[in-house]
Amino acid sequence: MTTSQRWQRILIVLGCAVIAYAVLAPLTSLDGAQALNLPLLTDKLWFRLATITAMFVVMATAWNIIGGLTGYAAFGNVAFFGIGAYTTGMLIAKAKWPFLLALPLAPVAAAIFAVLVGLPLLRLRGHYFAVASLGVGVAVGELVQNLDYRGEPIFGGASGLFMPIFAVPNRDLYFFYLMLGAAGVSIAVTWAVIRSRFGYGLIAIRENEEAAAVIGVNTTAYKVAAFALAAALTGLAGGIFAQWNVFIDQENSFPIAYNVEMILMALLGGTGTVFGPAAGAVVLQLLIQFLSGSLPITLDLPFVPEDAMPVLAQVVLGVLLALVVIFAPRGVIDFFGGRSRLTIAYLRRSLRETSI
Amino acid sequence: MTPQLDLRNVTKRFGGVAAVDGVTFSIAKGEILGVIGPNGAGKTTLLNCISGVYRLDGGDIRWHGVSIAGLAPYRVARLGVGRTFQIVKPFGSMTVRENVAVGALFGSDSERPPLRAAFDRADSVLELVGLRMKADLPVSALTIPDRKRLEVARAVATRPKLLLLDEVMAGLNNVEIDDALEMVRAVHETGVTVVLIEHVMRVIVGVCERVIVLDLGRTLADGQPDVVLRDERVIQAYLGERYARRLRGG
Amino acid sequence: MADLVQLVTIGLLAGGIYAAVGVGFSLVWGVLNIVNLAHGALVIVGAYLTWQIFTASGLDPFLTLPIDAVALFAFGYVVQRGVINRIIRAPLLFTFLLTFGLNLIAVNVLLLIFKSDFRSVTTVYSGAGLDLGGIVVPYIRLAALGIALLVAAALALLLNRTRVGLAIQAVGSDRDAAQLVGIDLRHAYAVTYGLGAACAGVAGGLIAMIQAITPTAGEPYTLQAFVVVILGGLGRVSATVVGGLVFGLVEAFAQSIPGSGSVFANAIAFGVMVLVLVTRPQGLLGRLR
Repeated sequence: MTTSQRWQRILIVLGCAVIAYAVLAPLTSLDGAQALNLPLLTDKLWFRLATITAMFVVMATAWNIIGGLTGYAAFGNVAFFGIGAYTTGMLIAKAKWPFLLALPLAPVAAAIFAVLVGLPLLRLRGHYFAVASLGVGVAVGELVQNLDYRGEPIFGGASGLFMPIFAVPNRDLYFFYLMLGAAGVSIAVTWAVIRSRFGYGLIAIRENEEAAAVIGVNTTAYKVAAFALAAALTGLAGGIFAQWNVFIDQENSFPIAYNVEMILMALLGGTGTVFGPAAGAVVLQLLIQFLSGSLPITLDLPFVPEDAMPVLAQVVLGVLLALVVIFAPRGVIDFFGGRSRLTIAYLRRSLRETSI
Repeated sequence: MTPQLDLRNVTKRFGGVAAVDGVTFSIAKGEILGVIGPNGAGKTTLLNCISGVYRLDGGDIRWHGVSIAGLAPYRVARLGVGRTFQIVKPFGSMTVRENVAVGALFGSDSERPPLRAAFDRADSVLELVGLRMKADLPVSALTIPDRKRLEVARAVATRPKLLLLDEVMAGLNNVEIDDALEMVRAVHETGVTVVLIEHVMRVIVGVCERVIVLDLGRTLADGQPDVVLRDERVIQAYLGERYARRLRGG
Repeated sequence: MADLVQLVTIGLLAGGIYAAVGVGFSLVWGVLNIVNLAHGALVIVGAYLTWQIFTASGLDPFLTLPIDAVALFAFGYVVQRGVINRIIRAPLLFTFLLTFGLNLIAVNVLLLIFKSDFRSVTTVYSGAGLDLGGIVVPYIRLAALGIALLVAAALALLLNRTRVGLAIQAVGSDRDAAQLVGIDLRHAYAVTYGLGAACAGVAGGLIAMIQAITPTAGEPYTLQAFVVVILGGLGRVSATVVGGLVFGLVEAFAQSIPGSGSVFANAIAFGVMVLVLVTRPQGLLGRLR
């Protein structure tokens, strides 16, 4: 067995272990399990972090469909998250819909928006598309927060939108499984797309859009479809988030940082693969939480005051982003996938290819 | 009998210059036609007009009698018009087989094979163009002549009724040209109408039944290769007034 | 009518700032093909530099502008030469992400140093202005407009009349050809980014005199710089200046519509950008890229 094959084995085993842990550990918090004297593996903090991680798995995997497979690096996908969140939130808070009825509308609303915005936007290439999509992300958040009708904010304004708490036993566990389910759906959708005609069409568009067009790929329709699919999945995460968090506003539903985080996660894990973005999401989210001091194990730097930790975390994130982009653009999975070895030589070669 | 492809007064301008200026000719099904002309004559522009990459500024293009001017490139491809690019455009991250299979997956509306059938078709096309042995290689491992074959293979996989080949022979040595000629003949024998844009006269003479000469966006001549190539105006266009006069013996 | 003139005045004065912010951004994009997401950070670093010098030494803020220019030039040169040059041949996504990462680092380092309190530069003449028959023209803003135009003119002069400038233009046109005629690419790139940073620094200094600053105050300027460049067109300094002034006017008029306000700044910017990209992608004065 070659080294890379060995690494692949290790990675698969590790991945399965993580998934098994994520699925089974929460069960120890059930009353039934406690009655059997099983050790409590999860607590409120665990559920919170795990649910957020699953949320990012959805977003990174979804981004991968438009960014990684199709090659259109959208920089404003958080707009779909927020639209999903506010769609569900508004239906529950204002129209008094039950949660499970409001949730399916989140991906629908996000997808419709993606089609409307995608038709003009996806005609742009490279920089123009990237910043235009960034502009969408920023502008939508702003509009949602500030749009008034006759002096009253439509979407709750600066004070945000509150929803009644979803009454269900083991609420933390419920929402974690829900988000985990969404993550599973995202991954399954990506898996199905990659080995379908649609997927090949998207990759063709990424590799050479003009060539794709002349062999019969309806590039506009395919791009918009990929965009809408990514939007729908991201919107689903937003919808779940809204009810889970009970409160939404511009800051927690349209955070600009999410845009880059989901891209970095996909990049880290390997764009264009099925599990890459998910792996990147888990790893990066753990790192971010660690740096922010949210994990039980914290970093105590002697010269840094505690309230400065989140800011320092952002600095580290920026440095990490820079390092990943400079040294390992094809992602860690490229290494684990056997296509390259993470040696100094590889890093040097990578660097040589891109610098002047 | 309606021609397969009918160009009427096709005009395309860039800025103030007419790259293609009132070109008119028809192609019958099953022909193997050459298009030649000095650099800048408008050959590739004409091809881009036919395949829908450029919008026409004037005239019309008819496919089996129906106008296709203004159709998006993918629609033209779906009608059965395939083309290659002068500077090849392979799908870099895919293998040779995958490149051709994508062609089979999309392409002409006559069939839409499922994935497995597309890959099978890719294999048979690779056999036709002589790339069978290299099917699993990444594109980056191919030589230039092989990349051109790949370009042709992908276009052939789209089940075209008409195939436009843009300077497929450019940069090939004599041996490679012979191999490529065989490939073109093989493709033609499957019933596909072939249009070759070329500079290499050997190819034109060797395989084309008919040749059209373009110069400065206009058709200069249209007929059998040996006749056209002896046409004074053609020689003049290629070689200039002085040399033409010398050939004339003046 | 007086309202209209006031609105136009406000628009042009704001436009001056936008132009100042835009020219550096446009240079880096046009020559290096980098959309510098850290541009806003460079602006705010310039702002803080002006504030710091002013607060520590009492030096008139206008006199700190040359210091801003030199300091930011040096900083930009080092960043380009040491960091950005390493991935300049990578696909656009990577330069995008890198500059975003640099932005993250810069803004958060500023947060660590200066905290998020608002700071301002207040001088004896801060509130004063001209009163032309009811139309108020604040002195500082008028001077800012003048300086912005001066900076743009200086940049244009440098690009067109000096050796360095021509080298930069050559590199922007054709990287490989420029190397063939003996231009040191790494140095040329670094100088270009340095110049872009210098312009951003001066713009930042001007901004410090006009508004209260906080480390995150530079963010909106990046998006606005992008819009200004798209509106004016890539290619010439004058195009960006026109873009800046026009955008200032558009924003002034959009915000005067009852019911809207400065909260919609980003939405307006984005709207203008999409409109231009869809109808006239080369901008008002630029050529198609």
